[in-house]
Amino acid sequence: MTISVWRYSHLALAVSFFLFIALASITGIILAFQPLADKMPAYRAHDFNQITLSQAIPSLKAAYPDITDLSIDANQFLIAKGNDADGNKLLAYVDPRTGKVLGHPGNPNEFFQWVTALHRSLFLHEAGRIFMGITAFILLLIAISGTVLVIQRQRGVRHFFKKIVKENFAQYYHVVLGRLSLIPILIIALTGTFLSLTKFAIFTQPKKSAHVDLNAIKDGPKKKLSEFAIFKETKLADVQSIEYPFSDDPEDYYTIKLKDRELAINQITGDILSDVPYPTTVILNNLSLDLHTGRASAIWAIVLAVASANILFFIYSGFMITLKRRSNRVKNKYKAEESKFILLVGSENGNTFRFAGAIHQQLIKNGQTAFLAQLNDYKVYPQAKHIIVFTATYGLGDAPTNAKNFEKLLDQYQQLHPVQTSVVAFGSHAYPDFCQFGFEVNNLLSRQHWAVPLLEIHTVNDKSPAEFGQWATTWAQMANMDIEIAPELLNAKPTGLQSLTVIEKTPVTHDEGAFLIRLKTPRRSKFTSGDLLAIYPANDHRERLYSIGKVGNDIQLSVKLHRDGLGSGYLHQLQPGQSFKARIAANPHFYFPQNAPAVVLISNGTGIAPFLGMLDQNTKKISTHLYCGFRGQASFDLYESAIKSNLSGGQLNALHVAFSREGKKQYIKDLLAHDAEIVAGVLAKKGAIMLCGSLSMQNDMIELLDHICQSKLGESISHYQSHGQILMDCY
Amino acid sequence: MKHLLRFIFILTLLIIQANVSSAQTTKYKCMLQMTNYMGEGAYIVVSLVDSKGAYEKTLYVMGSDKKWYKNLATWFKFYKSKPTNISAITGASVTGGDRSVTTFEIENSKINAGYKLRFETAVEDNKYYEKDLEVPLTTEGIAGKTEGTGYIRYVRLSAN
Repeated sequence: MTISVWRYSHLALAVSFFLFIALASITGIILAFQPLADKMPAYRAHDFNQITLSQAIPSLKAAYPDITDLSIDANQFLIAKGNDADGNKLLAYVDPRTGKVLGHPGNPNEFFQWVTALHRSLFLHEAGRIFMGITAFILLLIAISGTVLVIQRQRGVRHFFKKIVKENFAQYYHVVLGRLSLIPILIIALTGTFLSLTKFAIFTQPKKSAHVDLNAIKDGPKKKLSEFAIFKETKLADVQSIEYPFSDDPEDYYTIKLKDRELAINQITGDILSDVPYPTTVILNNLSLDLHTGRASAIWAIVLAVASANILFFIYSGFMITLKRRSNRVKNKYKAEESKFILLVGSENGNTFRFAGAIHQQLIKNGQTAFLAQLNDYKVYPQAKHIIVFTATYGLGDAPTNAKNFEKLLDQYQQLHPVQTSVVAFGSHAYPDFCQFGFEVNNLLSRQHWAVPLLEIHTVNDKSPAEFGQWATTWAQMANMDIEIAPELLNAKPTGLQSLTVIEKTPVTHDEGAFLIRLKTPRRSKFTSGDLLAIYPANDHRERLYSIGKVGNDIQLSVKLHRDGLGSGYLHQLQPGQSFKARIAANPHFYFPQNAPAVVLISNGTGIAPFLGMLDQNTKKISTHLYCGFRGQASFDLYESAIKSNLSGGQLNALHVAFSREGKKQYIKDLLAHDAEIVAGVLAKKGAIMLCGSLSMQNDMIELLDHICQSKLGESISHYQSHGQILMDCY
Repeated sequence: MKHLLRFIFILTLLIIQANVSSAQTTKYKCMLQMTNYMGEGAYIVVSLVDSKGAYEKTLYVMGSDKKWYKNLATWFKFYKSKPTNISAITGASVTGGDRSVTTFEIENSKINAGYKLRFETAVEDNKYYEKDLEVPLTTEGIAGKTEGTGYIRYVRLSAN
């Protein structure tokens, strides 16, 4: 499976460093509680942010004549050092206004020290520090590659915070939480890297010392400490530490370490003797420490803890995603060159492989040579009789990563002889561009001269086993293959069989003619035009599907009687009053759009069946055009009276009939080409076009409609297909 | 009675002795200014050494993590051979550019008697200075400013 460079690096980095990242995360979560624990006994003075040095310095000097240092820690606790009035050692949290002792700094908590040592150096001193520094850097790279992956997935930065479709637990929360904790994790990784680098003096610039010209120091005029201008201006909250002068000698001065610079203050006159800004790296280092440890803010500390916990979750969910993908890897028994059945998969996450794999297995079991590959590996298959494409759509209507090159490859490699094709498109109605890539593949294939569509494109919503089963059964019948899909993929037996009673049936008037049959359903059953009726003519796994038209409250089918036709023969021999079991399969992708401003219905032959019901049900009188094609008037007779009454009832606005073997010998596409403006107008105002009938008609139509879309609307047909404006139900 | 007299005599002697010895020590405030070296906090030990350079007493230890003590190699040999409780005279390690003010007591009899204060420094795994600086315990030595050769820029003392 091709994996994009970003995803590959995201995974490779994560796999190689996950142990260290996990260790750093666990210890990080624990350490996030250190600032919280430190702040617990609150030694912070009331209104700390308002206190100036002119208040604190003199009052503390008065309380402790032998005070030497004051420092303000990250919790804004003020620590006084020196000797107290009795000559004993002073080391206490004090109140800046009164000098009252509030508490004593305890020994640093040994547990936290131990965890810190593990977190930053694995107890390995320098070597460990280098290693954890690298780990932080790797985390940074993982976060960046993850960001790129989210942007790719969401199709652009603008959609970064838009809804993510939930596919499975691990994947959904990997992305959702990834977006949420992206910023904190980037900060943790960046500051962690930076802190490690400064430890090794890579970024550091030497601090400059206060340069005091001792000869220029004045010893007058004497001012009171509380009158020093600089002390009045400076808030205690902006200070890191204060060194009191070592002695009363004028040459000894106050050193005030602010957050960004260091001041030397004459202890007699209050003059600023020196003002040295710190190098940027010192300021960055302090900022990094604040951000990395959360020491300055309890709330940030909690954010860091949550982000660290998220990292652990990413490790878990990332592995789940990877394992899931790996389990979907392709194992082929036969070579591509010798296989009759080629199964091509387009899948972003490998889910689609499961479905293709099931078919692959069945084919092998049937003694067939089958080859499973990704769409990006498409080439010439000399023995191929069938190509089946199973593809998902990625992001907003794009090709999955392993199908990105398919369009180019399809141009490049022409199959040597006709190959029957079928496309199964996987998607979810939760996305706006439902199965768009599937439709594109189908359209691309329909333009290949070697491709013979065996079935129309089949869509599978949300990996529905039932919908996939529908395709599998139909395909197996068309390919004369005995395929049983593993029960874990499908609901095994047809369920929801209902008893239907024949009300009336029209006679078949000519050879290969069609007939209408009306069936009464049990009162509880719910259905509408466009749904499918599944019958089991031989009472075995063979299923035949007919498009339902709801006329009155009954089911109306339009059936062409084939010689030896299993389904049509069965329905034809039924007599009014007879009952049989059948299943109504909801087929919502082919419902008459209730909110469209206008609808164009296109059918050939018995494909008109659902439209008869839809017109009957069009009580809202939505503007509707019907284009239907038949061989001749005799075939149309069957439907004419009903349609005429729809016309007069206002349920149908215009009727266009083409007869292929009589009169002008027209096909529907001729009518539509003539009415291209109408078609384009309907699509432009967000109306819908519905197609029902044979696959060859569908292919002609798609070609024509694509031409109309391109020339009149400047969009490709797949745009309208994916927006649900072109609905098809062909066979 | 004779015993009691002797006991009182000895007791008196002991008390006088004690008073004399306490009267013979002076507290010194010691200011230590570090150079602007980069890296971890420096471990510094202040010892009283005699004229031959032999250790007499540990006065102050800056740095509390015992695992780094062995890096202060020469002092550590002395400390291991005569372990004393240093917890009361232990403070925090000092980082580059910082100032540290500590207080310790020195017997007056050691002044002007050839004794010196030795400042030994080491920074974790980095360079170790056996004699970052030595302050001669003379009247001038105490009053002056002694420049360091390693992590210490200078040391000043002031009698309390």
